[in-house]
Amino acid sequence: MYEYIIRRSVLLIFVLFGVSLITFYLSRGFPSAFNPCAPYITTKMSVTQIHNVCASHGFYLPLYEQYFYWLRDVLTGNWGSAGTWAQGLPVMSVFASRFPYTVELAISAVIVTVVVGLPLGIISAVRNNKPVDHASRVVALTGISTPVYWFGFILQLVFFYYFIRWGLPHLPNQGALSTNEPTITTYTGIPIIDGLLNANWGYAWDAFIHVILPSITLAFASLGALTRLVRASMLEVLRQDYITLARSKGLSERVVIFRHALRNALIPALTVAGLLFAGLLGGAVITETVFNWPGVGFDSVRAVLQGDSNFVMLYTLVTALIVVVANLVVDVLYAVVDPRIRY
Amino acid sequence: MSERESKEPKQPPKRSGTRAAYVEDLKYSLSLLVKNKLVLTGIILSIFFILVAIFSNIIVNPASANKFDFGISYCWNGNLFSWGTQAITCPASVNYPLGSDGYGRSLLSMIVLAIPLDLSIALEIVASALAIGILLGSVAAYAGGWVDEAILRVTDIFFAFPFLILALVFAAVLGRTIPNLELAIFLVWWPVYVRLIRGQMLSEKNKAYVEALRALGVSRWRTLFFHLIPNSIYPLLVQATLDIGGVILTFSALVFLGFSPSPALPELGNLAADGINQIFTAPWLLVIPGLVILLISLGFNLVGDGLRDVLDPRLRR
Repeated sequence: MYEYIIRRSVLLIFVLFGVSLITFYLSRGFPSAFNPCAPYITTKMSVTQIHNVCASHGFYLPLYEQYFYWLRDVLTGNWGSAGTWAQGLPVMSVFASRFPYTVELAISAVIVTVVVGLPLGIISAVRNNKPVDHASRVVALTGISTPVYWFGFILQLVFFYYFIRWGLPHLPNQGALSTNEPTITTYTGIPIIDGLLNANWGYAWDAFIHVILPSITLAFASLGALTRLVRASMLEVLRQDYITLARSKGLSERVVIFRHALRNALIPALTVAGLLFAGLLGGAVITETVFNWPGVGFDSVRAVLQGDSNFVMLYTLVTALIVVVANLVVDVLYAVVDPRIRY
Repeated sequence: MSERESKEPKQPPKRSGTRAAYVEDLKYSLSLLVKNKLVLTGIILSIFFILVAIFSNIIVNPASANKFDFGISYCWNGNLFSWGTQAITCPASVNYPLGSDGYGRSLLSMIVLAIPLDLSIALEIVASALAIGILLGSVAAYAGGWVDEAILRVTDIFFAFPFLILALVFAAVLGRTIPNLELAIFLVWWPVYVRLIRGQMLSEKNKAYVEALRALGVSRWRTLFFHLIPNSIYPLLVQATLDIGGVILTFSALVFLGFSPSPALPELGNLAADGINQIFTAPWLLVIPGLVILLISLGFNLVGDGLRDVLDPRLRR
């Protein structure tokens, strides 16, 4: 077991090395008006100083040598500065200030997905091949087939634009907070939690209504995978002998499903929910763009479009790390939960 | 057991090995597929869009994509008649059954012209990713050892990437043309197939018939390409059917995020992205192309989902 974890951790470093190598070659090869050396230069430098700084970070060398200069900088904690889209601030601080917003969106999207997807999957397994099952299949497949940005804009059109025209209470369509909200002490950076910790209910409510539409958009897209998986694993479990035994003991169908079947069918579903969360921490690119959500996914698009290699490097490495670690944790947890699995 | 079988439309074929048995098996699979109304809907949807794609140049003159009309389109625009030298997007009328787009063209014609483009893009990407995936995955599983390890580690790296951002970065490096966007999506798509066929092959290569082939003196390559791959390809075909929709969605997402090859290109994602600018004044420009993407994708997903059920041996009995 420990040997397995150590082996996987060594592979993890290898994977991160590969990710950084690919991203580095691609992002320094950007067709961009943005000199990769520019973030290291300040306005007070003379021409020779600029040359010296660029040379010390290896910008005049061939690409494969530049990589090792970049690696040296990163290992000493210097990730460089972001491009003009973030006013040239250090990428690490830009990332750290935006990441809580992405976390908030990811948590709420996973909550919506699980709250809707889990019952849907259970019902369609229990009522296999009945109308309810077909309906849930249609919902799941429609979610998978819907263009995410299209669905986001439709929600905006209905709950923002038409609700205003009809004089109904509408939901906000842009951003994570209203601009006129007062600033409060930040503990976590996540608006809802900060509002609650400050006992500023208006602030928390404002943050909450902003997250509704983006999280529904995200949840609709990821609902299908969870529902189909819960259905499949539930059907598998309901075929087992011990379920037949439980029924023949005279237990009610309710007890059989919720006490006996669900507990075993949930393990793969929780895996998917966990991996979905890990993926969303780095991947809500489209939804964040549609709703102008100030998270890292939206930033990464702007960084790519502006050829900002420093931010793209940090972003891909952090998200790759999250995904790889989440996979490792899931595999280890499987072995802990299920005694039949041994590594 | 006999009760359950009597409900089936037909008995599954008993004989095996002959061509007639193969055809009978295929017929049985088809009857299972068509029995499910949802799958039937999916098949009808897919066939409809494929037919539209094939005959699109007959239905609509392709030259109309380049005929921008900034002058004559005047229409009842909410609360006033508006006309002028700017393209005025009109709601549905006799001449423009689905309204006109931001270039004064009929939206319906543009959608008909866009469908073959989108379908061929999806087909090209999925087919090439499938080919590379089958080649690498089957070699990895069959050769084993360091070859397997090397191929797997490369796919590990690709799986760790945020998928859409990798495609964006590739697209940014390669430039904004249709072939380059296709290449960008292909580059992030192939590892899935490698993993899938590798898993299938690992269980397949230890079966008795492989040993029998070796005893007969059949070469390794012949065993791989004529026996192992055909026997483990079905789950990949299901995945490929499901992925046709996914590729169209990904392509349109790239276009939406700012990688449009050209603003007036009749491509579904491009038409929808173009409509976003006028979402509150002319919502149909976004709603209708997006709906067409949804229907194409849903059609293939329904077929793929049905295929998965039919090919599942537990459901066949």
